[in-house]
Amino acid sequence: MLSTRGLVKVYPGPVTALNGIDLDVAPGMFGLLGPNGAGKSTFMKILAGLLEPTSGAVTLDGSDTLSHPESLWPRLGYLPQEFGFYPHLSGQAMLAHLLELKGITAPQGMKKLVAELLERVNLTYAAKRAVKGYSGGMRQRLGIAQAIAGNPRLIIVDEPTAGLDPEERLRFYHLLSELAQDRIVILSTHIVEDVAVLCPRFAVIRAGRLLAVTTPGEARSAIAGSMYEGTVEVADLPRLRSERVVTQALLVEGKNRARLYEPSGSPPEGFAPVPVTLEDAYLVLMRLGSLPSRERAAGGTTLLQRGGGVPGAIAGSPGAGAER
Amino acid sequence: MSLRRLGATFRVELAHTFRRPLFVILALVLLLSGWGLSTGHVQISSGDSSVGGTKAWITSEFAQTQMMTYIVLLYYAFFIAISAGLTLIRDRETKVDALLYSTPLTAGEYVWGRYLAITAGFVVLMAWQVLVNAFFNHVVPNAGANEIRGPFALGSYAIPVLTIGIPFLLFYAALSMYVGQRAQNGVLVFILPVAMLLVCGFFLWTWSPSWLDWRVNRLLQLLDPSGYRWLNEALLKVDRGVAYYNRAHVPYDMLFFVNRAVLLVIGLASVLLTQRSVARAKRGAVEARARNLRAVTAPETLSPWLEGAQDVASLRMSGGQPGFLRTVRAVAGAEMRELVRQKGLYIFIPLILLQALGNALVAVGAFDTPILLTPGITAVAIANQVSGWVCLLLLFYTVESLERERAADLAPILYATPIRTGALLTGKAVANAVVGGAVLVASLLACFLAVLVQHTVPFSIVPFLLVWGLLLVPTFLVWTTFVTAVYAAVGSRYAAYGIALAALIFTLFRAVLGQINWVFNWPLWGALRWSDLGFFETDRAALVWNRIGVLGLSVLFTVLAVRLFARRGHDAVQTMHRLAPGRLMGSALKLAPFAAVPAIACSVLLVQVHDGIGGGVAKKARKDYWAKNLKTWMNAPLPDIGRADIALKLDPARHWISSRGSLTLVNGADSVLARFPITGGDHWEHVTWTLNGKPYTPETTERLYVIQPPSPLAPGDSVAVGWSFDGRLPRGATRNGENTEEFILPSGVVLTGFTPSFMPVLGFMESVGETKENRTEPRRYPRDYWKGVTRAGFGATAWFPARISVTGPEAYTLNSVGVCTRNSVKDGWRTQVWETDHPVKILNVVCGRWQVKQGHGTTIYYSAAHPYNVAEMSQTLDAARRWYSEWFLPYPWKELKLSEFPALAGYAQGFGTNITFSENIGFLTRNETKTDATFLVTAHEAAHQWWGNILTPADGPNGDFLSEGAAHFSTMLLFEKVKGPAARMEFAKGIESRYNDRRRVDDERAMYDVDGKREADNTVLYDRGGWVFWMLYDHLGHDRALAGYRNFIQTWSVSRDHPALQDFVAAMRPYAQDPVAYDAFAQEWMEDKVVPEYRVTDATKRKVGDGFEVTATVRNIGTGVMPVEIAATAGERWVKRKGTGTSAPASTPNPGYHDARETITLAAGESRKVTLRCGFQPERVVVDPDVRVLQLRRKLAVATL
Repeated sequence: MLSTRGLVKVYPGPVTALNGIDLDVAPGMFGLLGPNGAGKSTFMKILAGLLEPTSGAVTLDGSDTLSHPESLWPRLGYLPQEFGFYPHLSGQAMLAHLLELKGITAPQGMKKLVAELLERVNLTYAAKRAVKGYSGGMRQRLGIAQAIAGNPRLIIVDEPTAGLDPEERLRFYHLLSELAQDRIVILSTHIVEDVAVLCPRFAVIRAGRLLAVTTPGEARSAIAGSMYEGTVEVADLPRLRSERVVTQALLVEGKNRARLYEPSGSPPEGFAPVPVTLEDAYLVLMRLGSLPSRERAAGGTTLLQRGGGVPGAIAGSPGAGAER
Repeated sequence: MSLRRLGATFRVELAHTFRRPLFVILALVLLLSGWGLSTGHVQISSGDSSVGGTKAWITSEFAQTQMMTYIVLLYYAFFIAISAGLTLIRDRETKVDALLYSTPLTAGEYVWGRYLAITAGFVVLMAWQVLVNAFFNHVVPNAGANEIRGPFALGSYAIPVLTIGIPFLLFYAALSMYVGQRAQNGVLVFILPVAMLLVCGFFLWTWSPSWLDWRVNRLLQLLDPSGYRWLNEALLKVDRGVAYYNRAHVPYDMLFFVNRAVLLVIGLASVLLTQRSVARAKRGAVEARARNLRAVTAPETLSPWLEGAQDVASLRMSGGQPGFLRTVRAVAGAEMRELVRQKGLYIFIPLILLQALGNALVAVGAFDTPILLTPGITAVAIANQVSGWVCLLLLFYTVESLERERAADLAPILYATPIRTGALLTGKAVANAVVGGAVLVASLLACFLAVLVQHTVPFSIVPFLLVWGLLLVPTFLVWTTFVTAVYAAVGSRYAAYGIALAALIFTLFRAVLGQINWVFNWPLWGALRWSDLGFFETDRAALVWNRIGVLGLSVLFTVLAVRLFARRGHDAVQTMHRLAPGRLMGSALKLAPFAAVPAIACSVLLVQVHDGIGGGVAKKARKDYWAKNLKTWMNAPLPDIGRADIALKLDPARHWISSRGSLTLVNGADSVLARFPITGGDHWEHVTWTLNGKPYTPETTERLYVIQPPSPLAPGDSVAVGWSFDGRLPRGATRNGENTEEFILPSGVVLTGFTPSFMPVLGFMESVGETKENRTEPRRYPRDYWKGVTRAGFGATAWFPARISVTGPEAYTLNSVGVCTRNSVKDGWRTQVWETDHPVKILNVVCGRWQVKQGHGTTIYYSAAHPYNVAEMSQTLDAARRWYSEWFLPYPWKELKLSEFPALAGYAQGFGTNITFSENIGFLTRNETKTDATFLVTAHEAAHQWWGNILTPADGPNGDFLSEGAAHFSTMLLFEKVKGPAARMEFAKGIESRYNDRRRVDDERAMYDVDGKREADNTVLYDRGGWVFWMLYDHLGHDRALAGYRNFIQTWSVSRDHPALQDFVAAMRPYAQDPVAYDAFAQEWMEDKVVPEYRVTDATKRKVGDGFEVTATVRNIGTGVMPVEIAATAGERWVKRKGTGTSAPASTPNPGYHDARETITLAAGESRKVTLRCGFQPERVVVDPDVRVLQLRRKLAVATL
């Protein structure tokens, strides 16, 4: 179990990047969703032992990883959001070097292990080429190879699918799912689909606070039957925004195709109910700062809600990915 | 080009420049050095060195120009290289370049904006430098420096900035930027200033042998980017007088402007090339990426796992913390792969090889004679450079290596691996050690070649392992760990460079100013002295403690580096908490065990240096001796030595001496002598005295013992003063490994009667305790001071017999003056008794484990390690004894010995019967076809048996001419006799060249007034003196001159009066055929200080009948009136000599040589047209073809026909 308690990180400025994060993550895949600048990467760096928090505690299976990050590192697989490699080393040499530094061994020997890992991430064909000639996706895959190497208890992957083509992304999903069977895998992303596909549980973070910790199904069911889609004139959109919770608006053939959350069940004219997606739930959460309780929405259980989003402050804000 | 975009780029970079730690650090360095230099540590070598004499101002345009030429290369080059060289690399590392390439910003705007901003930043720093210098020179009061400060003149500061500083900045910033852009590698950028310093400091600035063709010299001036070579060669080398340097503007000539223009053109070209490179990168980035991608296109088929063949678990991997050594190996391996790729090393290694080779080959010893290199001498000779270069390279490689993961964005992955921080840093250090190793190997190869080309000394690697391996490796360790700790603490590449460079400059500054000692001398700069006869015997304890301290510091810095190295980003709030006094104290306590070793070592060294022979205690004792006794005992009347009986026991292993003896002292004066002073040594312990055999306690004032006989000594009365003492010599450590003139060491013993090292010295020693602070102007003598009875310049006033018994370990030979009357061994101790067969005036003792080479009435005692020149030395000594006896006076003693001692002191001295040579004089002199160096030094020192011992000159101005000048003259005579006229001419030209280079117009006095106290006196005493004696000999003619010499030396050797130069001139006058001309000669060359300088112009030849007629105008642009020969010549005069040594004839006339001559006499400024008729086709017109007239710039007194 990975636990954080009262995690606060204040950068000089001061800028509060994390504002009291309490979280328990059990083995399995766990997603961390949030807009850009929400504090995800700061949180990940702290979890990876690469950044000292201002206050708070982090434990992995009961051991304090903040005071002794060196006790965490042998059990960690980490893929940061931004990273690089020695440009002149070949992919094979680079991976071998990192495996060496991670103290990784395998019965088949280092050379074969490297070859097999490269095969897992579909880089065999470029194994002997210098990393400086790799594309962004290839580099990302090499990063993935080093992150999954060994037998890490905790794998942290920060925006891992950036730069991957759809096929590679699928492969990566497959890999992570497999790895998450017996270990903690934390996936930080702002791509809701990644979480929807992979994570049985996830947390949403905004402005350094946890807004929710839930499952994709619960999140969707919280707004089930409340999402509507319709077309509005461009000139009418501002008015609609002020009156309703518009989660998306897309200009198509001169008109706005809008999607809105309407828990009252009385949408504007021309709007029809649509199936709910996790992205809808996420965007509603971003707009309102919390999801409605199931009792209120559909007579179900109350969702776990954390933090203090200010709905009024968010409603008028476009938010990340809110409008396309 | 858009000015708006250019301006925007300029503004952003300029603002960044001012915020850089590097900028602030250089500003601080300039502030501190401005303050340091305001005390006059860097001055033009000109002016009158007497107290209160006219000095060269540090504020003059010349001085500021000279300083600017140094500073641009020593300071600015490194800081500019980092700023300009990394500016584009930084953009690439931060990936800003791709963003900038996507904007309308053109390559030109981008590059020019950056270039101009960086240059402007350094121009601001240069303005700051000028401001600081002017402030310290003119505003801050410093009474001690008043005489070197002239009035403020803006031009003195501004003009060097415009002529030297800004062109250099423009050139160097552009070049650095281009190198950075081309190499895309920081290390290569840093190689640039190192290579430039190497080429300039060790070649362009210093390499200017007397035979160098002037055209080559001008080409080299053109190539020097600092401008120093031009300044030195054109304006400083031949002294123009202090009035000129203080008041005149630097007269820039066409060569200088061409040099500046070349710099600007290279600068402009570099910017344009950078621009082109950036434009290509901008254009080619997309294409290159596409190419790369095409090259690594994924295969059509999917990987097997996707088809469900394998999963990750099947790989059965396991992880854990890797072992320390495994990590070190892995990190070092990756670093090495990077190192091997870098071009820097491949450029630098040949450069350092050439530099080390060149430096080793041009090493010179006494009289600028080339030295025969042994492995040990070579290892120590270039140790300073090696450590300097390695430290510089380690700085660059270490910082870049530590920065590598951050620059490559690998840091978050690498730092999250379970490797130990210590192992990571060690791995990088191990890889960087390869750089140091490569430099050492290149230097070793250079030394091997240097030793090999001599074809004389066998090569051995042992001294290199000892000096570079054992002694310098701790230096490299401490430097690497320091740089790592600094980087870990500040976390910034630029700040780390700034701080480390500042530390290096500070150390260098203190070393150059002689302010460094064993405590702080971590690079061992200037502290190593080598002798093939014994390793580091004088200061071995200090050296060991120094190395222990340095190794301890390495451990401390390592601990600090590991603790401070930021694998994890620190939190500002937590950091503030950590800086709270309590926690800070706690951290300090945790570090205390690691600080203990360096602290203890430093403390021990502090005590050793303080109590040592150069430390505060000894300094104060010497100063007290001077201050308390000067007024009372200076020039006090002294008795003569009637007889000396001395018994010494020497224990070289313990550096120990026990001395017991007595001097019979006779009042040789006309008046009663009630008391007299005797000076003792500061190493004397358990001192007891006797007077006429009875215990006696003299009055003592700071080692000056006042002997008061029971009753005042009437003229002719005598008293026996006895003493005994024991002590260690040298008494303690030196400050920084300096030479000690006398010592008792396992490798050898050398003791002289000049100092109270083994026996008391009669009288007050004026030179003891005189320092820069209390230095007084030497006594001014009237010109007729020599009239009446004059005391001896050194040694005793009258001859005395002596008996010296020396006891030492059986393996040693124990030499002293006279003949050995007993040589016995008992219980492992040898005793040799020496008794004078003819009285002497001064005593000495020299001991060693030697081989013996017997000559005709001469013996050479030499180390088995140095047999190379012994045969030549023995033959020269034989020839000297024979011919000097014939020319001057028969040698009065039976035996003439010459003994070798370790090069911990670098002199040769000729005591009666017992000459001593430092190993690197004579024994390790390299004979070249032109120099006959072994012959030279042996003949000179042998001549002191006559000039110095048999005839002791007066104590007063010009007396030393009859010692050193006469010895040089004797050497010329012996050259002519033994080696022939060609060898004599080469020797004469050599010392003439030394005089040309070293004389200082304002400091030079007439020979009658030279007392050896001024900086330029040395070359006047030796070189001018030797020449004037030769010209006098030439003027009188061989037979007359030698008859005069014989009479002079015979008369004065037995006189209680001691001769000055005036006595010599008077004594020789009767032998002149033309006394009027003789007087005129003496007047010009000795009473006055003339030197002719000739130029030949309008030289033409035309065919007349069967021969040719040559006409030329000869002008004396110097001073003096001398008859001088003008010759039209054809062909080489002498057959080129093959080989060296006595077996190689030096003066075989070439039958193809012809000349036609005419003698003319030109007064100062006078010119004359000369017509010479030749029966051959002449090739050139030469002034003074036989090298008979001392002159300035002889090379220019020639014209090609």
